[in-house]
Amino acid sequence: MKRSREQAASELFAALYPRLAGWCRRLVDDDETAHEIASEAFTRLWARWTSVAEPRGFLYVTAANLVRDHWRKLERERRAVRRATAEAAVRPETEQADPSVRLLVQSLPERLRVPILLHYYADMPIREVSVLTGRKEGTVKADLHAARELLRAHLRRSVDHTL
Amino acid sequence: MITHSDDGPDFEPDDPLAVILRPASDYLGPPPGRYEAIRRGAARRRLLRAAAGAGLLCAVTALVALPVRLAAPDRPASPTVPLAPPSTSSRPATPTPSPSTGPAESDAGGPTEATEQPPAASPDASTGPSAAAPSKPPADSVAPSAAPTEKPSTTPTPTPSAKSPSKGPR
Repeated sequence: MKRSREQAASELFAALYPRLAGWCRRLVDDDETAHEIASEAFTRLWARWTSVAEPRGFLYVTAANLVRDHWRKLERERRAVRRATAEAAVRPETEQADPSVRLLVQSLPERLRVPILLHYYADMPIREVSVLTGRKEGTVKADLHAARELLRAHLRRSVDHTL
Repeated sequence: MITHSDDGPDFEPDDPLAVILRPASDYLGPPPGRYEAIRRGAARRRLLRAAAGAGLLCAVTALVALPVRLAAPDRPASPTVPLAPPSTSSRPATPTPSPSTGPAESDAGGPTEATEQPPAASPDASTGPSAAAPSKPPADSVAPSAAPTEKPSTTPTPTPSAKSPSKGPR
């Protein structure tokens, strides 16, 4: 019983960790932080008493929240440094991160971000997303559509700014 | 609300969203020993959570139980052994027959008390009444009549003095 559980955990780790860590790497600055976030997501998954029905979705949502916390922390630090040196000499470190994914996670509200993450990044079909989020399939489709429209608007705005 | 079909991609191939929403393609392999470290960390965290839960439960139990215990009466009344016989009304029946049979030596079961009584009363009046007084007062009402008549020679003086006061008030 315990051995089979251990084996299942090992297989899950081998299948999901590289992809999750790679996804985190696109959002954060360095490999080490990406590993930390992915590891923390796995730790939270296995530290639970009750088993998670859909571990993939749980991992991605947890990682997205950790990434958001990381960004907030960076922002606080940057502001503190700026205040201390009185000049904006510090370049934003997150420029290295993929701006598109950052936009995705940062610009969307929680309600729309989760379906997008699960559907597009965790490769879950809509039916699974609806089960995981407790929403009807039609609602999930509508949420995905709304999220895409929001992202389009954000992209258009950023393109206008660069021009 | 209009639900949009999401089975196929909702955007054109040159749509910038297609770039954003492309699945993650880059992989980052775990460093060696990372899996074991994560498993150990999860187990430790679970243990800590269990310990914290148990401690919280104990604290709540103590907080609930302590006021209840303090508010309760000090101790339940402990059963005390009665020092004296509860009533004297039941005893008169047994001594009454004793005088009738007792005077003539009285060796039967009932008279056993009566047989002990005359010697106890006769040698020393101080101890005799004290031990037999609670159970014998009604019996004394009959006993005096027999005692003086039966044994005038042995204890003439003590018996009248002891019995007469008991008889008088009643």
